[in-house]
Amino acid sequence: MTNSKMNNRILVAAVLITTYVLVPLLFGGNSYLLGVVVSAFTIAGIAVAWALLGNLGGMISFGHAAFFGIGAYTSSLLAMRFGVSPLLGLLLGGLGAVVASLAMLPVLRLRGPYFALAILAYAEIFRILAVELKSITGGAGGLLSIPGLPTVAGFDLNTKLGGYFTIVTIVAVSVLVYYLIRRSTYGLALRAMHDSENATRVLGVPATRLKALMLIVSAFITGVVGAFNAHFINFLEPNYAFAGTWTILPIVAAIFGGYRTLTGPVAGALVIYLMDQLLFKSLIPQGHQLILGGLLVAMILFAPDGLVGVLLRKVKGGGDHATT
Amino acid sequence: MFELTLQAVFSGLLSGAFYALIALGLALVFGTMKVINLAHGELILLAAYVAYTLESVAGWSPLASLPVALVVVGICAAGVYFLISRIKRDRELNSLILTFGLAIIITNGILMIWSADVRSTGGDWAHGAFVLGDSLFAMNAELLAAGVSVVLVVLLYLWLNHSWYGRAIRAVSSSSEAAKLMGVNPRQLELLSFIIAGVLATFAGVALYSAQTIAPELGHNLTITAFIITVLAGMGSISEVLVGGLLIGVIEALTVTYFSSSLRELSGFVLFLAVLLVLPSGLSGLKMKTRKAGPTGVSPGSSEKPARQKQLQHD
Repeated sequence: MTNSKMNNRILVAAVLITTYVLVPLLFGGNSYLLGVVVSAFTIAGIAVAWALLGNLGGMISFGHAAFFGIGAYTSSLLAMRFGVSPLLGLLLGGLGAVVASLAMLPVLRLRGPYFALAILAYAEIFRILAVELKSITGGAGGLLSIPGLPTVAGFDLNTKLGGYFTIVTIVAVSVLVYYLIRRSTYGLALRAMHDSENATRVLGVPATRLKALMLIVSAFITGVVGAFNAHFINFLEPNYAFAGTWTILPIVAAIFGGYRTLTGPVAGALVIYLMDQLLFKSLIPQGHQLILGGLLVAMILFAPDGLVGVLLRKVKGGGDHATT
Repeated sequence: MFELTLQAVFSGLLSGAFYALIALGLALVFGTMKVINLAHGELILLAAYVAYTLESVAGWSPLASLPVALVVVGICAAGVYFLISRIKRDRELNSLILTFGLAIIITNGILMIWSADVRSTGGDWAHGAFVLGDSLFAMNAELLAAGVSVVLVVLLYLWLNHSWYGRAIRAVSSSSEAAKLMGVNPRQLELLSFIIAGVLATFAGVALYSAQTIAPELGHNLTITAFIITVLAGMGSISEVLVGGLLIGVIEALTVTYFSSSLRELSGFVLFLAVLLVLPSGLSGLKMKTRKAGPTGVSPGSSEKPARQKQLQHD
């Protein structure tokens, strides 16, 4: 037990050193490649949030684009209209998404496909609102020259490398939060809920309140990632901010990596996005997402536990709730 | 203003009947298997593109392309079922993700084969005007689509209620274990309902191509429309699908007339959420409520699982 804990610590340290030291050293000079890696981590952030809701809350969402778009618009508008620092704006973007998720709380009592598609309806409503509320959002024309991230302690975050460190930190903290929730008594109750919601209700677990909490945490993370993306690319329009891509890619990533594992969504996002951008796109210029759809189908049929799930089972020889 | 309202209601009823046709296949499969086929809209669009190809290559009219489209989409629908039937556990949620993946495949496949350009039929008759009582206007194709839709709803309703297969499908939907004991093969019937959904999707697709413009990303919207109407109708109720479609059609048309055309979609979504929250078992639930007919079926809002699923989990 202590041995595997030790191994886990070494693994975590190795991953952190790789992302914070090795990747910048290797790819820091190639600004195109670094940009693609930043986008991959952006997807990874949403994928972690999506998996948190799916794994702990037991809810499949087709509407995470809503949180992403609202986080992006909240932070951008605060920075452009009121001069709020983008760094603070990241958190406020997350809060904006939380406010939006509060509007979604009534659909929590819906089950399975109803929840999944009700959230999709919300995402569409928010997108239409972003187009229609021209006086606030600038409408379909979008927002131009959104301020970039500031300089912190002499290090300019408004560069490709600065953006890289910011998003990697956001993703790392999200995974940490996910880990802590899962380890807590809440996590235990949520996992029990996944087996039988009625039984856990009888035992006095406030099931709906816990699900609401997961929705809020998931929305917050996605909102922060959305805000980051807006300040990184300095441009926003409704059909981009609320695009289905922000829902499709994280789902494929989380399912591919294994949405019941901690690291699966991140690993999945990196593999999926880098392959999509660097390989599939050059193979099939138009319609390259076809391969992503195929991967999704194949994973559900042949490896519903995902890549990390399969690897873990090989290493440990079984165990339903993987810990890595 | 009165005339405008009348025209809006008339157009709304026509497009609403067509919406019902879009939703019919989805509602049937949902009723039989509790599976939402998120690729349903893409199957409709596929039929539309088959009609487009036959028209542009061989000069066939959209109606003449029906048999070919039926074969193509029927095979695809059977394929979708084949994949869903291979899901090992938690079919309700995993089928959602699986069909989501299939929808991505079909959309991008269409994009690859037919490119992102917007297409529409060149037939003169379809776009010709139909005038009712010299003040209400419609396109011939719209009228035909609405008529076909009503006929198909009636046929499906009769088939489900009066044929052996129809009764067997309803038996499977209420308890597939009990149906098995009565000598019904659930897999065969699930496949049958998927193929019929494919047939309905084909009619919807050919009607779509005759009356409107088509583009690769349209499938997603069709699926959402279909799902909204299915929820509005209530689970597995076929006759309410028509009512639900008409309701959405009229509300959308009135929104366009009184407010703005950009709010058309919004009205549908808002209605959808309102129904989900206020009336979780849809229009069919409303009927039961007014009849005070004892306990209703499993509403989407409740979290209890049918006993049969529990059994499967223990297997």
